[in-house]
Amino acid sequence: VKPEDFKTCSQAAFCRRGKALADRAGQNPDWKSPYSVDPSSLAISSDKAAFTAAVKSSLYPDIKFGLDVRVHHDGVVRVRMDEVDGKGKRYDETASWALLSEPQVSKDIQWTVGKKEVKATYGPKTDKVDVEITFDPLVVTLSRNGRSEVVLNGLGLLHMEHFRTKEEPKPAVEAVEGGEDAQTPMEVPEVHNPRSWFEGEEEDGYWEETWKSWTDSKPKGPQMLSIDISFPNHGHVYGIPQHATRLSLPTTSGQDFFYNEPYRLWNSDVFEYHADSTMSLYGSIPVMYAHSKESTVGVFNAIASDTFIDVAHPEPGSSYTHWISESGILDVFLLPGPKPADIFKQYTGLTGTQALPPQWSIAYHQCRWNYVSSDDVRSVQTRFDEEDMPVDVFWLDIEYAEEHKYFIWDKKNFPDPVDMVNDVSAVERKMVVIVDPHLKRVHSYPVYKEAQDLDVLAKVKDGQSEYEGWCWSGSSAWVDFFNPASWEWWKGLFKTVQSEPDKFAWIESTTDVHIWNDMNEPAIFNGPEISMPRDNIHYGGWEHRDLHNLNGMLFHNQTSQAVRARTDPPMRPFVLTRSFFAGSQRFGAMWTGDNLGTWEHMAVGMKMVLSLNIAGFAFSGSDVGGFFGNPEPEMLVRWYHVGAFTPFFRAHAHIDTKRREPYLLDEPYKSIVRDILRLRYAMLPIWYTAFHESSVNGMPVVRPHFVVFPEDEAGFAIDDQFFVGGSGLLVKPVTEKGATEAQVYLPEDQVYYDYFSGQTYRGSAKGKNVTVPAPLDKVPLLIRGGSILPTRERPRRSSPLMRRDPFTLTVALDKAGGARGELYLDDGESYAHEGGALVWREFTAARRGKATHVASADLAAAKPEAAVDGAALALYDKDNAFAAEVRAVRVEKLVVLGLEKKPGSVKLAGSELDWEFVPGVASGASKEGVASQLVVKNPVASITGDWEIVIQ
Amino acid sequence: AVEKTHGVPPSLLAKYSPSSKSTWACLDGSKEIAWSAVNDDFCDCADGSDEPGTGACPNTRFYCANEGHIGALIASSRVNDGLCEPECCDGSDERPGVCKNTCKEVGAAYRAKQEAERKLRKTGSKIRASYITFAQKEKKRLEDVVATSAQEVATKQKEVDRLKDLVERTESLSLAALEHKKQSPLYQAMLKQHQVLKSLQREHEKHLEREKELGDILTNLRSGYNPNYQDMAVLEAVRGWEFLAGLPHINDVKKDEEATEEELGSDAVEEDDEEDGILSAEELEKELPAVLDTDYESLLIEHDRHIGSPSEESVLFDVSAYVPDALLPQFEAVKDSLLTWLKTFGIIKGGSQGGESADTSRAKQALSSAENDLRNAEREKSNAEQELSRLFDPKWFGREGEWKKLQGTCLEKNTGDYTYEVCLFGEAKQKPNNGGSTFSLGHFDRWNDAEGVEPGSPEAYGKQYYTRGTKCWNGPQRSVQLVWTCGTENAILSVQELEKCEYQFTGTTPALCLPPEDHERKREEL
Repeated sequence: VKPEDFKTCSQAAFCRRGKALADRAGQNPDWKSPYSVDPSSLAISSDKAAFTAAVKSSLYPDIKFGLDVRVHHDGVVRVRMDEVDGKGKRYDETASWALLSEPQVSKDIQWTVGKKEVKATYGPKTDKVDVEITFDPLVVTLSRNGRSEVVLNGLGLLHMEHFRTKEEPKPAVEAVEGGEDAQTPMEVPEVHNPRSWFEGEEEDGYWEETWKSWTDSKPKGPQMLSIDISFPNHGHVYGIPQHATRLSLPTTSGQDFFYNEPYRLWNSDVFEYHADSTMSLYGSIPVMYAHSKESTVGVFNAIASDTFIDVAHPEPGSSYTHWISESGILDVFLLPGPKPADIFKQYTGLTGTQALPPQWSIAYHQCRWNYVSSDDVRSVQTRFDEEDMPVDVFWLDIEYAEEHKYFIWDKKNFPDPVDMVNDVSAVERKMVVIVDPHLKRVHSYPVYKEAQDLDVLAKVKDGQSEYEGWCWSGSSAWVDFFNPASWEWWKGLFKTVQSEPDKFAWIESTTDVHIWNDMNEPAIFNGPEISMPRDNIHYGGWEHRDLHNLNGMLFHNQTSQAVRARTDPPMRPFVLTRSFFAGSQRFGAMWTGDNLGTWEHMAVGMKMVLSLNIAGFAFSGSDVGGFFGNPEPEMLVRWYHVGAFTPFFRAHAHIDTKRREPYLLDEPYKSIVRDILRLRYAMLPIWYTAFHESSVNGMPVVRPHFVVFPEDEAGFAIDDQFFVGGSGLLVKPVTEKGATEAQVYLPEDQVYYDYFSGQTYRGSAKGKNVTVPAPLDKVPLLIRGGSILPTRERPRRSSPLMRRDPFTLTVALDKAGGARGELYLDDGESYAHEGGALVWREFTAARRGKATHVASADLAAAKPEAAVDGAALALYDKDNAFAAEVRAVRVEKLVVLGLEKKPGSVKLAGSELDWEFVPGVASGASKEGVASQLVVKNPVASITGDWEIVIQ
Repeated sequence: AVEKTHGVPPSLLAKYSPSSKSTWACLDGSKEIAWSAVNDDFCDCADGSDEPGTGACPNTRFYCANEGHIGALIASSRVNDGLCEPECCDGSDERPGVCKNTCKEVGAAYRAKQEAERKLRKTGSKIRASYITFAQKEKKRLEDVVATSAQEVATKQKEVDRLKDLVERTESLSLAALEHKKQSPLYQAMLKQHQVLKSLQREHEKHLEREKELGDILTNLRSGYNPNYQDMAVLEAVRGWEFLAGLPHINDVKKDEEATEEELGSDAVEEDDEEDGILSAEELEKELPAVLDTDYESLLIEHDRHIGSPSEESVLFDVSAYVPDALLPQFEAVKDSLLTWLKTFGIIKGGSQGGESADTSRAKQALSSAENDLRNAEREKSNAEQELSRLFDPKWFGREGEWKKLQGTCLEKNTGDYTYEVCLFGEAKQKPNNGGSTFSLGHFDRWNDAEGVEPGSPEAYGKQYYTRGTKCWNGPQRSVQLVWTCGTENAILSVQELEKCEYQFTGTTPALCLPPEDHERKREEL
């Protein structure tokens, strides 16, 4: 990393001002926020839980602010404040881009107005939530059963710098040339600024700011927004990705701070980023969760300008945060929880859930900068097939494009792009090709020409002239995706058939080509902080500073829609993005950018993915092998294990690295990686089921301990082992060189089974570490007792070729002899599931007397409202088209782990099945050892049917 | 249900029959299963042998008989996956009805292709045969060269011996005097200066080379630098280099012409430091070797003559002064014959004044030139011997010498931006088509010597390595893998930079076309 390419808080005037404000407050025991609500202005809507009120600052009595507070139907509280009738308008559109739709305001909740406050109370008796807005000073408190959970402006750091007129500097006292008396300063009487206790004496960088060789003109002057958000009863805070750090955020201020810089959200292309830092990276999701044994709460701060966030724990068990933004309105959503599952539902209720991806896209992706020709692509495919290694997608980085003019093939190396793609799709594989947002400024490039003709390119500060910057394609321009005129046009570019004559369509492509969006922060090589000047102008006259962090998401959004719209009916698009914001999960996948091939990056990549998963962006992953560098075989193998347990699983490498496709490895590494790939493929039903759940209720696809065991304090900071969806798989990938075993933390008094050997481990109610063997060919992978795993064990070349393959069900009995699991299936690529073309099964195992019953039931019919994201199925038809298609898919094998003893009979509908039993340790026994194993051969003829097997 | 022997290769057919109890033993003997469990789409045996035809057991092979064509084995992962494998034209890899039997057409096409390949191979192998004939002729020629040059070496050696003797004797005559003169501070000083000058020259050359390399690096940096990351240090280096080398800024395309004009105007600056008697770089380069080649000994002698006027005679002629009286007559006789000799060979001019003084150095020169001739002859001989030894060396020109013909043949491939050239067994190069410097991509290093590749096998000749080319400033030394296939022409078909600075060429050559019969035989051996 070159830290000097990016600003620290002290190099950004607004952050200096915000930080100084906090410092002054900290030194002043009599500090009181100057902001207060004018009770007489309170206007409560008659039928909804919403009110507005005027807010005043004692510093500037003439400046008016407006407060708007509303409680949504799900208990989320939205607090908005803006300057009213000011000299300018603050950017207030962030939420409109981030939110899925306008949230529904509750009709059942009432505000109660008191003398000093206005208050609303809701929730069940055991879980009473109060939202209270005190008038003077303005403080917003969300409490639960009388205990403060979230407090806004509790420390009085709220400050919204109002618009003002630039005062011309007083004529400086010119030194008379040569005159001696020039040395004596003129006596200027000290004018005491009565606001200096709050704002400071100096106007620090109000109207212009120079950093390195760039000068940021600030025609609108200062418009910093500062707000303190406290969680007085929560000892851990998570979220605000993307930072290369731990899941439970280390402190940046207060005593014994861990980092000496606040967390920053300013989407940036950071070259060779540091694996342990608060620096901003490619994307920003301004959502933060606070967690304790008692509850989980959160805040979503819908702001898209440069934002620095300090985190401190004034005392163990409490958290304080301070958010300093360069511009924008205050628009904060308080998420009341109380459990992790509730906040995920509340947060994704606002910004949308992870879009259910095409199923092939959760399989293995092979990428490199660059596969250099169509023959190169073909030979990579051939090598994978020769080695019988499964892979679903081959990727093309920027070198496919002639002079980096995206869409335009470099015909010298890719003379036959459509044939190439067809050769790849012949094995039901896909290709992903990169399309970046910078357009080479040559008129012979139709995309640039059309964008210019449409006048949809980003403008410099005069708001008129096209902005020119430097990127891969040399001198380039950037599409302003905030301009609605660009949207239809952008869709048209991706059409694979020419429908309108004089317009560019990507006819040298097929619908098996999906898209990769990179450099959308936007990355601009010669711009300040490798991005766009803050005073550039976007559609609507907004400055780039106001909406910078949204930029990547808008590009991703439009591309995703474009790919979706290529076919009729539309098919699920796959679009990978590097830059993102809250809501980006609706448009596809992300990856953690240009990581390094080091053990540290391998480890932090997992933590980043966990952080993204709780922040709604489940479809995330890091480059396997590390983008930069040449990983040694051991590291590469371990990284494949990490990748195989990451929602988005792609190997990628920089152009300067040696080729490292898995077939190039020597033995034993090659075979180990082949097995890892096959393991991922065998588990695709588990992953897809987890994605389905995430798409419906916002639950993370990979789940850290605090999510699964919210009351187990010992697990709150654990971020190096995690669960795969709700499957009960617990994995701890090894990220240390030379390791042969791993310590796995078991948080409960339950039996866990080694996935590969069936060895049992027993946890304890107090939490317990167990030692699990971790030779290079085994990832520490345990099945939580009480889980049922559906897998497909037949190796294939690509995942769509598995669609007719039978299932294996592994029943890992819990201590009491029960278990549960789910399986979601649909065609994996269309939207037919939204109309009910799906299969969603629940598998259970239960002890009844001396018998164990293993059964399959229809979950879609039981919970049609939770079967599909967004639209509830009115009624589920078990004979839908998809179910009919997979009716012949059977369960070829049922494995039951942990039965007490050899059964006397195993029957389905009264008929004895074909089975074998290997004696071993029982699930409820206290000793450890290899679990007993019952294998039933070909038990069930159809995965779609209801059945019950009785083990007597 | 699937037939029990479905997917079983002919060699194993005998093993697929039930026992008398209607059971069957897994091929590895690990388990006895019901005969009905064979090919029942469930994997029972640890070795997967019970499911030859269903793909239920991973990592097994499925045999399709392909009647009308030739049988093939495919991986179990491709059985019942919904795709008709091209290897199984009978369609037996999928459930009945999924794939058509295309063996008739496939077989016919295969045979036609085989025939075409055979023809190509045949034509190619004829050319290859001519290469072998060439190699045999070369062998003869080289043997002749070796013989002739051996003779020449002998003759030259004699000549050298003779001259050496002469010089020794000449030197011994003057040795004492010379030794004395060499004590002169002037001579010592000159020797010192020579040494210093020589070192200076070497250092200078090193620096020139270094400067050129640095220039190349910077030129590459300038044209190839990645403006990503906005690295100010890189930018500064590029700009600095452009200023120093008088180049226009690489990104200022329009300013190109203006810059060139400026450059012309700035000549005066460079020529500024002309000073009296200071040599220009070019002059220096011309003068320096001459100065360093000075024979100080002759200079010493000439010097004496020059300043001492005739006070002292040429050493050679004055040796008599040192010779004991008793030997004088003998000495005179030798001297006379020596002088006659020297005159006869034109080493000294008879009687002239200059000739007398320089005879020692002349003798030396004659010796040195004779030694040179000898070395040349020896070199010629050893070269020929080396060529001869490589001629049928499998690690060089092949067991039959079939590659010899191609030594020095240069093949080119124009890819638009660059023309790639490889001179076989010599050097590979990348030549830009639109200006810029040519890079060496390496020199011939070896044939494919990967593990398990037999030296001298067609597989070994399928790939040539050219290594140690110009180093990439941010990567390895450039290198080429040249992948050959049999063809009737020598040609480079494609060039790819599969990874940074590592190129892969593909090409055809008749040298790889074994006669069809041999080709078949070799294939079967595998």
